[in-house]
Formats: sequence, structure tokens, C-alpha cells
Amino acid sequence: MVNALRTHRFWKDFDWLLLAAAVALSVISLTEIYSSTMNSQTDTYFTRQFAWVVVGIVSLFIVASIDYHRLSEHIPWIYLGAVVILLYTLIFGKTVSGSKSWVSVGGMSFQPSEMIKMVVVVALARYLSEWHGERYMSLAQIVKAGVVCGVPVLLIVLQGDLGTSLTFLPALAVGIFIRGVRPVALVSLFLCFLLVLPVSWLFLKDYQKDRITTFLHPELDPQGRGYQIIQSKIAIGSGGFWGKGLFNGTQNQLGFLPTRHTDFIFSVVGEELGFLGVMITLGLLAFIILRSIYNAQTARDNLGMFIVMGIVGIYFFHIIENVGMVIGFMPVTGIPLPFMSYGGSSVLTAFIALGLVINVRRCRYVN
Amino acid sequence: MRQREEQELLRSRIRSLCYGMVAALLVLVFGFWNHQMVYSSYYRDRAEENRVREVPLIAPRGRIFDRYGRLLADNRPSYNIVFTRENSPHAIEQTLALLSDGIDMTVDEMQERVERRKREPKFRPIVLKEDVSVADIAFVKAHRFELPEISVEDQPRRRYPGGELAAHALGYVGEVNETELATREFADFKAGDQVGKAGLERVYNRVLRGKDGFKRVIVNTQGREMGQLEAEEPIAGNDLHTTIDLDLQEAAEEAIGDYAASVVALDPHTGEVLAYVSKPSFDPNLFATRISGPEWRSLITDPRKPLQNRVIQSHFSPGSVFKVFMASAGLEAATLSPLQTAFCPGHATFYGHTFACDKRSGHGTIGLHDAIMMSCNVFFYNVGKDLGIDQISHFATMMGLGRKTGIDLPNEDPGLIPSAEWKRKAMKAAWYPGETISVSIGQGYVSITPIQAAYAMGGLAMGGRLKQPHFVAPEALRKAGFTAGEVYVEEYPIHESTVDIVTKAMWSVVHEPGGTGSKAKVVGFDVAGKTGTAQVVGKQAGLKGKQYEDNAWFVGFAPYRNPEIVVAAMVENAGHGGTFAAPITHAVFETYYKKKMGTFEQSATPEVAQAVRGVPNPGGR
Repeated sequence: MVNALRTHRFWKDFDWLLLAAAVALSVISLTEIYSSTMNSQTDTYFTRQFAWVVVGIVSLFIVASIDYHRLSEHIPWIYLGAVVILLYTLIFGKTVSGSKSWVSVGGMSFQPSEMIKMVVVVALARYLSEWHGERYMSLAQIVKAGVVCGVPVLLIVLQGDLGTSLTFLPALAVGIFIRGVRPVALVSLFLCFLLVLPVSWLFLKDYQKDRITTFLHPELDPQGRGYQIIQSKIAIGSGGFWGKGLFNGTQNQLGFLPTRHTDFIFSVVGEELGFLGVMITLGLLAFIILRSIYNAQTARDNLGMFIVMGIVGIYFFHIIENVGMVIGFMPVTGIPLPFMSYGGSSVLTAFIALGLVINVRRCRYVN
Repeated sequence: MRQREEQELLRSRIRSLCYGMVAALLVLVFGFWNHQMVYSSYYRDRAEENRVREVPLIAPRGRIFDRYGRLLADNRPSYNIVFTRENSPHAIEQTLALLSDGIDMTVDEMQERVERRKREPKFRPIVLKEDVSVADIAFVKAHRFELPEISVEDQPRRRYPGGELAAHALGYVGEVNETELATREFADFKAGDQVGKAGLERVYNRVLRGKDGFKRVIVNTQGREMGQLEAEEPIAGNDLHTTIDLDLQEAAEEAIGDYAASVVALDPHTGEVLAYVSKPSFDPNLFATRISGPEWRSLITDPRKPLQNRVIQSHFSPGSVFKVFMASAGLEAATLSPLQTAFCPGHATFYGHTFACDKRSGHGTIGLHDAIMMSCNVFFYNVGKDLGIDQISHFATMMGLGRKTGIDLPNEDPGLIPSAEWKRKAMKAAWYPGETISVSIGQGYVSITPIQAAYAMGGLAMGGRLKQPHFVAPEALRKAGFTAGEVYVEEYPIHESTVDIVTKAMWSVVHEPGGTGSKAKVVGFDVAGKTGTAQVVGKQAGLKGKQYEDNAWFVGFAPYRNPEIVVAAMVENAGHGGTFAAPITHAVFETYYKKKMGTFEQSATPEVAQAVRGVPNPGGR
């Protein structure tokens, strides 16, 4: 429990490198959030984000201190609570840019779906680590794992937040892959996916369809939907190797970059800090991913390993999608870049996730 | 499967996942390398295009002044609402719909304007509404966050403080159209430019036009200026100093009243145009803003033809005014002796046709002097018969009739002095001697413009010296750095005695009892002139109505020796020249004489007073 914070062992086994990487990313993030919002009417973005980073780091230590086995013991109730919160959001939530995924708690708006990712990760990890000795999962096991992940996902889809719901799936996919699927099952899953794809098109909202067509042909409508991608590519490309310098990005400062402090924060890095800044930032993100994978392999048990790999799956997907999006390799979705994009829920969840990874590492030598 | 074995299996799966992730990250690295290192300069140019915008700074046109430096045309500040399609957050229809309520303009109207210029680059603003009101500007300013693609642009606009005053001389300006752009005259203009469309504005377009400047500014995504990179200031056009005398102009316009009429006053020594009136007139200020459809239609469908520049574009039978030239021609050709007389019983028969004299009771036995003074037709029938059409044609043309005077206005009409050869060519018919009799009194085919009447009369009074009429002295243009020719001078041989006889007779027209032009008289100024009362086509057929009333002419000059001013007045469908045209010339002569004597008091009508005060030129310099 939190008492662990008082032990010498906790501080000795703590993964300081991971925390250092996250803090370094936060510094870059805060600088670029400041840069991209300094000309806007409200200048509270920086202070608010700073506060969230502090809250995030504190939460990281708390999460790291609670033995993940304890978490796993209580996960059925936590999971049930999460489902209730999602239902509550679905009924009483606030609608922000088309999705009813926000709730107000004491005057603060919060997106519960972000945090619930961690609940699903732990729940999945517990389920996947419940048996031993099988090379491959049975169909029933795959379906059960799918249900564990699928219930919250379905509720989030119903909220209209397709982007966030998609970010749960990598945890499931990574978990199933590691636990083992027969090649035959893999192929049939893929075929099912292909089959579902055109059907799901019918259920997409217009703006979601637009995003996909725009991703495929951004030049078709440079004034409208393709605008974001084009402006982002211009920002990044014009940054060159050294960048235009902090606070000097014209695309950023003159407002040509859309949602530049949130989803397109990486474009600001690309413009103002250049290829060099991009490599440093991407390097730090990659370090967190790879270091986490290393922690997973050295985890004491499968539960810890699955928790870490679920988190790796989710955040790797965030990185690929967001960073790929800003250079037009991926379609535009509202998926934030962990530790970088402005937004309390996103930052807090990222630090909590990192806390879980550190937690698993910390406990590796415990008998 | 043992636990250890299983552990190894799971770890190998994690490893392969890890390789896949590293590969995906490398793809991203490649993407950034491509954007930031390989194609960086391309994106840098596009970023510059984004933030830098070239804004035209429209140069004000030069002002136009009368001969004493009183203002005839200047510029005023005005604002247009413009639409920049580049970086617009809305679809075009959306923008126009949002704007439509606020600025009181239909979407269709605006759509049409956008349509017309949709092939131009998207960063070039399209004017949606010109010369907007303060309320319109307020609307745009208030909505600059919702409609960043809409902005207000300033453009100096032409202003004619006198309104209709001298409108046909000044002309008007307007946006250059596509047909004009294709011509050489407008070769160095571009779409959207304001150019002279008529009158002096058009003829001296190259002088009046300024040189537009530009500024390169940094704009944000809403198109708002955040800073300036460089600027080239616009250079205002050259001012145009004309020969018009506003006092004479005003006197003439006022004297005309409601008639359709032309008045032109020239200085016969120099060819300078002192006054130039074509009535009914129009307000050139209407064209300075884009003229509205209904306004334009009412101007072009008005049966009184206000846009017609009557002084140079309408030709009329000169009537008895022509007798002065007949007399000169007869004397010069020696077919007429100064002492010749004719008997006028009120009519005369030639070639089997009876031709009437204005005085039904007849003038009795009448000499040349009295025949001009009293305008006896019968005397001149004989003059014409003796000259023959070809000699009439030769002398009339020589004296400046039936051909362009070369005045510095566009689209001058040559009028017509007929000859046997002309009829053979134009009508494929032989000349009938009877037609010569009609021509002798300025009827039949003969047809002249009012400017020709003043030009030829001035030339005759000057002893056979024709000076090209003009509003702008070539020396002034040369001083401003433009190439300009000379005022054209034409001298024709004429005996001093001939000039003496006809001018004396014209003095009598005004001054002696029985003269037809006594209403032109100005005490002390020795006005000489000739009336004309020309029948219009249709009257002979017995048709009645206002439009078949006679055209009234008076062409005179003063003083009758070494004249300083020649005035031609032509009042359409009014009646007798002595009654309707002579008083108009009187007003001009009197004003001229008073100014000369120093007893002239400033004109009182508000628009001229305003013009004379010379309101400062805010859009200009």
C-alpha cells in the first residue's frame, strides 16, 4: 500500500529513467503548449497543464506504491464501477464536439473513458493470466477476453467517441497475441474484420466518413476537411532540420495549424524545433515504449507482464496514430499524444499508466 | 507445457511485437525525414504563401480643374466589402448566406460576382459590394471572428462635385470590362481597375491614372494583418487642368432650362473650349460606384437620351446658319457679287418646284447684307443655284463643316456636307439640281454638329483660321512628362472683304432693327451671329407634335472684330432660333463680358458654389 513509499526498497527499485523520460516530454509539451497558446485570448492553458502534470506525477507515485496484485484482487468491483460511470456519462454527460463523453465533477470537466482504459488493462491482464500451460487460446477464451474489453468499448462508442474507443482495442489485440492465437484463428479474425468493415461504414457518422475520405484524398478539399492535414504537413516540412525556433513557428503563431495545442501539438514541435526536436521527442516516446517492454519481460508473473503489455499496446497505438496523423500517414482522429497533448484526462491517465508500469517493475523481485 | 517453456514462448511473442513496433516507428522517422529534410524547401515556400499576402494600394486618379483651378472632379475615400476565398473556414454559399442578411444584398447577386472571378487566384479578394455604408462596415467588423474571409478594403472613388455639370465633357469612370481589356487602349490595365469610360476621363486616362502600389503583409489564418514586410506607396495620377470656365458653363446650363440642347463656347484664337453643355445630362457620380441595373436601364432607355453627347455626336440641319457660309462661298467663288440683289415675293420657283421664304409677304428687293440680317431664303436660293452643289461642298468643307474638328473627346461625328459624288456613292443616285436649292438654306442632306458650327464660325470670324478645339493644352501635358502633339491650325484662303461683309451683316443680325438675333445682344460687347430655324424631318409631311417643332440655332461671336469668344447654341424642337437659341448665347456672352469688365458676381447655385470652393481632396493627395 501507500506505506510502501516509506520503504527504502521502493525508492531503490523505482524506475527513475521512465519517470525522467516522462518529465522530459512534459517539459517539451509545456513549452510548446505555451508557444501555441500565447497569442490566444485565454492564457490559462500552460498553468492548467502544469497543474495536471504535477497531479499526474503525484498519482504516478501513488499508483506505483500499491501492489498490482492488490489492484487485481479488487478489479471486478472497480470494473463494475467503471461500467456504471460510463452508463452515467452516457445518460447525464456533456456533449463536447459531437461526443457525449464528458462529465463535470465539482466544476471540472473530465473524460472518464480515458481513465477507464487502465481499468480494462488490469481486468484483461487478470483474465489472461488466470490459466497456464496452453499454447493457444480457445475460441471461448478469446470471446470472453473480447467481452471484458468490449463492454466499456461499446458504451464509449454509444457516447459517440469512436476515436477513444478504438484506443482500447490494442490492449485486447496485444493481450490475445501474446497469450496465443492459432494462425487459423488469426486469419479468420482478419476475415471477420474485413467483413465487418463495410458494414461498420454504414454506422459511421458523416464527419467520421469525411475524415476517412479526407485521409485518402486530402487535396480534394484543401479549404475544408483536408485543411488540417495540409497545414500540419506545411508546418512540419517548413521546420527543416533545426526548426524555426521556439515561439517562431509561423504556422503555429499565425493560427494556420488547427487544434495545435491538443491533437496537433507534434506539428508545433516539428515546426519550431525541427527534425532534431522531432527525433528527441519521438526518441523519448520510443524509449518509454521499449523500456516498458523490457519491464514486461522481466515481470515477476504473467499478471504484471499483461498489465504492462496492455499499456504498451494502448500507448504505442496513440503514438503511431497521432504522430502518423500529423504527417498524413494516418487519418485524422481526436487521439491525443501521451504526455504531449494538452488535456487533463489524457496527461493524468498517461502518468497513471506509467505508474502501473513502474509498479510492475518495482515488484519483480518480491517473492 | 512447463511454466518455464511457456514463459519463453510468451517472451518470444513479445519480442516479435517489439520488432514490429520498432519497424513502425522507423516508418514514422522516414516520414519526418522526407518532410523536413527532403521536401523542406517546398513546405517552406508554402508556409510563406500562407502568411504573406500582397495587398494592392490603389492610387487615386488625378483631379480635374477648370481654367481657374476650380475643382471639376476629385476623389473621396470609400470602402468595399471583399471576400477572400483562400483559407476561408466556410463553403462559398455558407459565407454568402451569413453575409446576406447583414449587408442587405441577395446571395444570388453576390454569387454572380464570385462566379465571374472564380478563375482568379484564391488569395485575390473579390469585391462583393462597393461603396458601402457605415452600417455595412460595422457589420463586417462585428463579425470578423465568424467571417474572417470577409473584410473591408478602401478604394478612392471618383467624385464630381458639380453633379451633372459638364458631365459630357468630363465623362465618367468605371471598372474596365473584358472587351476593353482586349483592346490596345487598355492593354496595361488589369481586371478590377477603374478607368475612364467616356469624355476627358477616357481621353486623358493615361494622364489621370496613378500608379498603384502594394504592401506585403503578414496575415494570420483569419486574414488579419499582423505586420508589414515591405510596401510600395501608390503614386497619384496627374491633375488635369482644362480650359473650361465654370462661370460660362454654369451660365449656359442655367439658360437652357429643360430643353434638349447643345451649347459650346470656344476661344477662336486658341481653340480652347470655354463651355460645353449637352442637355439632358446625367450624374457621372452614378458610375463612380458600380451603377445599378435599374439606374443604367433608365439612362439608356430614356427617350431624351441623356448619355448622348449632343455637341459632337448629334448632327442637325444647320438651317439659316448655313447662309453665312453660302454667302462666303458665293463671294469667294465670285458667283455672288457684293452688290447683287434679288426680288423676294415670299417664295420662288426652281426646276418646277416652289420654295418658300420664311416671310410669307416677301422681303421685296433685297441685297446681301439684308438677306443675311433678315434671313431671306429666296436670296440664298439664287446664291446656291449659281454656286452649284460641288462648289457649295468644296467651300463648306474648307470652312470646317461636315468633318471632324479633332476635339479631344472620343467618338466625334463628322456630320455631312453633301456633294454630287457623295450622293452617287452613298445613295447610288444622281444629284437633282432642286436639292441644291434646299442645301442653300441649310436643309436637305446638309447636317452638322454643334461643335462644327462654333468651330467653322470662329474660323470664319478669324479670317479663315481654324484652330482645333481642345480642353487640355498640349504644353501642359508635355510639362507633366507626356508626349502630346500640337493644337492643329488650318488656314484657308478667304478675302478680307468677304469676312468683312459677312461679319458686318451678322453684327446687324443682332443689332439692327429687323435683325433676327437681337436677343443675343450684350450692350457694349458687339455680338455678331446668325440665327437658324431648321425644320426637322416629318414636319414637311404635315405631322404635328413637340418632336416635329423646329430646331433653334444661334451661332455667334464677340466682339465682331477680332473675336474672343464664339458660341453655338442648338435647342432641339423649340422653335425659332432667334427666340430660343439666341438668349442662351446671350447668357454666355454676357457672363464673359461681365468677367472681362470685372462686374461679374459669383454664381449662386449650390453645386457650382461647392465646386468653386474646391472641397479638399481626401482620397487624393
